[in-house]
Amino acid sequence: MRTWPAAFLAATVLLTTACGSSGDNGGSNAANFDPNPTGTLSAWGFDNADDVGKARMDYAAKQLTGVKIQMDQTGFDAQKFTTRLASGNVPDVVQMDREYVATYAAQGLIQPLEKCFSANKVDPKERWYPSVVGDVTYKNQVWAVPQFYQPPAILLNKTVMDAAGVPADDIDPSQPDKLLAAVAKMYKSSGGVPTTLGFNPQATGQAYLWIVGMGGKLVGDNGAPTLDDPSNVYGLELLKKITDAQGGFAKYKSFTDAFDVFGDKNQFVKNQVGAEVDAQWYPNVLSPYQSTLKLAAVPFKGKDGKPVTVATGSSFVIPAKAKNPSAGCKWALALTDEGSWDAAGAARAQTVQQKHSINTGLFTGSPAADKSLRDKYVKPSGNPGFDQVISTFYDVVSTGKSVGSSPAGQALKQELTNAITAALLGQKSAQQALADAQKATMTAYKNVTGA
Amino acid sequence: MAQTTLKPRKYNRREALAGYLFISPWIIGFLIFTAGTMVYSLVISFSRYNLATNVMRPAGLDNYRALLDDPRVATSLGNTLFYAVLAVPLEICFALFLALLLDRATRGAGFFRTVYYLPKMTPMVATASIFLLLLNGNSGAINQGLRFFGIHGPQWLVDPAWMKPSIVIMSLWGVSGTMVIFLAALKNVPRDLYEVASLDGAGPVRKFFSITLPMISGAMFFNVIILTIYAFQVFDQAFLLFWRDQNNATSESALFYAVYLFQQAFREFNFGFAAAMAWVLFVILLVLSIIQVKLGNRFVYYEGER
Repeated sequence: MRTWPAAFLAATVLLTTACGSSGDNGGSNAANFDPNPTGTLSAWGFDNADDVGKARMDYAAKQLTGVKIQMDQTGFDAQKFTTRLASGNVPDVVQMDREYVATYAAQGLIQPLEKCFSANKVDPKERWYPSVVGDVTYKNQVWAVPQFYQPPAILLNKTVMDAAGVPADDIDPSQPDKLLAAVAKMYKSSGGVPTTLGFNPQATGQAYLWIVGMGGKLVGDNGAPTLDDPSNVYGLELLKKITDAQGGFAKYKSFTDAFDVFGDKNQFVKNQVGAEVDAQWYPNVLSPYQSTLKLAAVPFKGKDGKPVTVATGSSFVIPAKAKNPSAGCKWALALTDEGSWDAAGAARAQTVQQKHSINTGLFTGSPAADKSLRDKYVKPSGNPGFDQVISTFYDVVSTGKSVGSSPAGQALKQELTNAITAALLGQKSAQQALADAQKATMTAYKNVTGA
Repeated sequence: MAQTTLKPRKYNRREALAGYLFISPWIIGFLIFTAGTMVYSLVISFSRYNLATNVMRPAGLDNYRALLDDPRVATSLGNTLFYAVLAVPLEICFALFLALLLDRATRGAGFFRTVYYLPKMTPMVATASIFLLLLNGNSGAINQGLRFFGIHGPQWLVDPAWMKPSIVIMSLWGVSGTMVIFLAALKNVPRDLYEVASLDGAGPVRKFFSITLPMISGAMFFNVIILTIYAFQVFDQAFLLFWRDQNNATSESALFYAVYLFQQAFREFNFGFAAAMAWVLFVILLVLSIIQVKLGNRFVYYEGER
């Protein structure tokens, strides 16, 4: 009976050794991309596709005549992706958040796309905004085909602001004193609990905007995290002042968590916010309530007083062991060309017409497509407030800053959120919280890169 | 003159065979689906595994040494231990309380049994969505209820000090599996024992401690072991309440062992480290279970024992 543990361990060591002797069968091999692919394409993405997604998939399928497309229309799941890679059941193209791209690139699990672009005569710098390409660039190589860029700006609820006598110019993060005075005028509470926020900064949801937009730096050379960079403290301390002025972070967070964001009792309809940082897609959610809302928007301004925006988005990557990378490349590029976006624009226009709603535009990540769709489909709605909101988002899109891509991207975001939470709760100073976050992210960075 | 004693056989062959037949589906499932992966994870725990190249290189005990150097392993283990110490006794008490209520129910017993078992059938994601509303520090029903008694409830989901208790509350929602086991045990307690105790003048409390508890000690023992194992593996509740997306406010206070293991494996591709974590947890649970069995044998009454 005593011999079996020893035998078990011996077998384990033998197995380890045996596995260790197996050959390196690639992982960083960049494929040659044929611009006229054939065969079968195994694609993973477009979970719960809407009118825009369906129109783009139809368009892309027509560009790949002779290719049979097999879709796995589920959301990206790191565990599932890992399992598929380990089992050899590797998709040819995968849709994932841009924040994940450098992580998989550093592991050699996806391939750089320079050859994909050149074979299909696509110049990434021409097709996408610089900040969008920056999100998927790691070690001077582009690793993904990006899509969408929905920048945040500040939505103003004029009903609350007018009642408090707050002009739009006062909602300016570059002038903290003015902003905090405006917040104090609009903030209301009952029993110590907020009932109306003067300004919802989306403290954790728009963490990148508050740090990078305020002049901070989260990613350094080769994607190494720089959360403890002194320039990151300013944005975090300003966030603390804003949440402290509105009942403190805990009550602020619980209040915003209870918002009916997508429903007909949303925070604007119920006048629960005077102003709020929101991404470009949110006016689309609010458009059914145009008759009851008095909306306006201003750009988010950085420490230097200039408009700035920071957003990430999704992208398509091609796994290193993809069986048909040419088809994956062609499909991803077809999905992001002007024809695809035009089809999407037409589908969205039809949906808007059916719902008697407002076309707030599509923010594709590509300057040419954005302009084309705006010219063709975004017309005066008859609601000057909404039109000004739409126009503001179009104005800020060119002010985008990239966070930079890091192999520890997921850990970086998580640790930054943890640091913000700890600092805003008053558990740690901003410097200490960021220093602790840097330490943890650096460990993740070393794990992923093997540094 | 030597005295020969015949050692009584504890179980007869037919009973043993029946026992093996009853557990055979699990044994077969374990051998087909679990045993191989367990061995493979043990192998990985002694190696550096590269997913891109599918190459494993021997690492000796490096991954296990790394566990000692990583402060978050201790933090997550401490959080998990705290949770287990808080959750297991509360779950046992709550499940037993519900089972006692259902045991006494006569009219509509089937209806109530079904209703109380429904939470077990509800997907964890749906349960978590409800609890995100219930536990909201400003407007959640739990704090509204506490306010009724003049108590200002905590910020369950934001204040690090209350994150673990909030997960315990969510776990209590799912005790119906434990409750059913208790209920089955309660139904097996011979009624004549209570009748005799009543004749001797025993009250409800005396009957509970002198008859009910000893007679259901087998079920109690089983539930304690199972709930302890579950508590150390807690993942779903913590992940859904606090780690579901990277924009959600959270803290190390909600970092449980299984959550950290998941992060190491699928966020940082540190498979050897994650496998070592899994095996350390296995050993911890094995030791705990052995201790529980040793202690339990002193207190547990088995009806079929000879």
